[in-house]
Amino acid sequence: MNSDEQLGTLKESLLGLDMEGAVEAARSLADGGGQAAVQDAVSAVSEALGVVGKRFQDGEWFLTELVYAGEIAKEVMGLLTPLLEAGAAEAAGTVVVGTVAGDLHDLGKNIFVSYARGAGFKVVDLGVDVPVDRFVDAARESSALALGMSCLLTSTEGEIGKVIAELERQGLRESVKVIVGGAALTEQFARHVGADAFAPDAITGLDTVKKWSAS
Amino acid sequence: MDFKERILTAMEHQEPDRVPVMGLVMDPATSNQVLGKQPADIGGLLNDPSMRGQVKDIINLSWNDIMYSNFADALEASIKLGFDANWTVYTSMEVVEDPQCKTGLAWHDAFGRLWEMTTDDKGNMLLNYICGLLTTEDKWEAWVENKRPSFDMMIQNVAGYHRKLVDNYGDRIYPIGYAAPGIFENSWQPIGFVNFSRFVYQKPNFVERVIAFHTDLYLRYLDAVMQSGVEVVMGGDDLGQKTGPMMRPELIEKLLGESYRRVSETVHKKGRKLVWHSCGNIYSLLEKFVEWGFDGIITMEPTAGMELGRVREQVGHKLVLVGNLDVSYLLVRGSREEVEAAVKKAIRDAARGGGYILSASHSHSSVDPKRLEWMVDAAHRYGKYPISI
Repeated sequence: MNSDEQLGTLKESLLGLDMEGAVEAARSLADGGGQAAVQDAVSAVSEALGVVGKRFQDGEWFLTELVYAGEIAKEVMGLLTPLLEAGAAEAAGTVVVGTVAGDLHDLGKNIFVSYARGAGFKVVDLGVDVPVDRFVDAARESSALALGMSCLLTSTEGEIGKVIAELERQGLRESVKVIVGGAALTEQFARHVGADAFAPDAITGLDTVKKWSAS
Repeated sequence: MDFKERILTAMEHQEPDRVPVMGLVMDPATSNQVLGKQPADIGGLLNDPSMRGQVKDIINLSWNDIMYSNFADALEASIKLGFDANWTVYTSMEVVEDPQCKTGLAWHDAFGRLWEMTTDDKGNMLLNYICGLLTTEDKWEAWVENKRPSFDMMIQNVAGYHRKLVDNYGDRIYPIGYAAPGIFENSWQPIGFVNFSRFVYQKPNFVERVIAFHTDLYLRYLDAVMQSGVEVVMGGDDLGQKTGPMMRPELIEKLLGESYRRVSETVHKKGRKLVWHSCGNIYSLLEKFVEWGFDGIITMEPTAGMELGRVREQVGHKLVLVGNLDVSYLLVRGSREEVEAAVKKAIRDAARGGGYILSASHSHSSVDPKRLEWMVDAAHRYGKYPISI
């Protein structure tokens, strides 16, 4: 099988939710080629994840499929990323993400992390129960393009406003876009606290960040 | 009509004297405020190293009493607020040492979930599902084997718990027992959603075994809830997320359809009605709910795009609708005019011909009792049959 066929197999396997097939194709590409082949494989994963995201947004695919495709991508990227030259996988910019203080839920955030890495972003994942200072410090230290906050609980949504206020206080608000998402939140709330965007789901959130990256 | 006749008439898709109003009160934050009670500072006690061990033991020994007291207060508060009905829920929980949790203690439920306790700014206790403890097939098998006696005990407790609440409050409000968590939730949450998604594709036989186990257990649980004698029972499973079903509807049918049919049959054989709870955007499952035999649905989460009018249009009077006033803004900090407008809209959209019970879309600790009062008041003013708004 030549490398084009292997790239096709990688994409088809990911879109067919065939983890074994995708990992095998990625391994063949990594073994058989140099830096260019690995970069092509990463691009193929990214393209496939774009298709998955579109299918999810169009209601053709569902959360289990989105999550499992993300898991396959994670396995494949685990093979490919160490073979890439430094920085090559993170060209699209840096995104800082975390679940706000007092909230320990991370499913939506983790889906975003998988798909954003697949799309070529460097992701600084702060985890869950993240205090205001850690969000702000990470945004400053990484010169982040965007800061994403996840919040499942209405009882903790007030944390989002605190982070935005602290970004403003430290003079960082103009340089970092803020996007929020989570079951507790709405577009109305996002506007109310001064976020730049609301993400009803991880894929829509990634689309927004991609637009910011391209502009 | 009294509260019971009002609910039962609506459940038959007939018009009662006025639209019934159901409370989804369960959070101590709400009950305490309505009843003027100070919260028990369990969080403070658990954070005190000198008290923690003792408090943990007391909680574990008296968990059934804590649950009873919580829902006795919820029913008392619901009566005071003027609701015709309120739900009652039992959760089996154990506090265990866990250095990874903030307080050094974790809360494990009978099914294998890890919960963490926090308190709100007034000291009211909040428990939130964090993750599953049974992340591998081996862990799941071992848990289920070890917990068999606990499951039997839980079933006994459930029956006595709901019966006692009905005995003590059933003459003043209609306490609708809720068999929760559901089969899907009990199947995936203890495993975790990422693992569950992996297993769906990599270990389908295991997933089917898990669901079969929880179906049998759920039917026993449901039967225990129905021993309260109340004619309406709630079941549920969160099948939706913010933008659609969590799984492909065909996969839900394949994995859970037969289980849900058995649930409905179990309820109907006892001459009861089944109202099904699901959070999330569930438009594409509504016909399935009818097909599986559910009599009604509760929640229809507005933050997931669910609108009563659209649901009614889609399913007509094949399902009783219970809901769906917003708990993210409206019943937390909405104005009286906004609450009133939402109540009128809900009545206009869903109440004609009966088959509608007005309620919040969910319980929530942030819900303001004053807004609940406004909701009930507006329902009484605008919900008289025949509907004329």
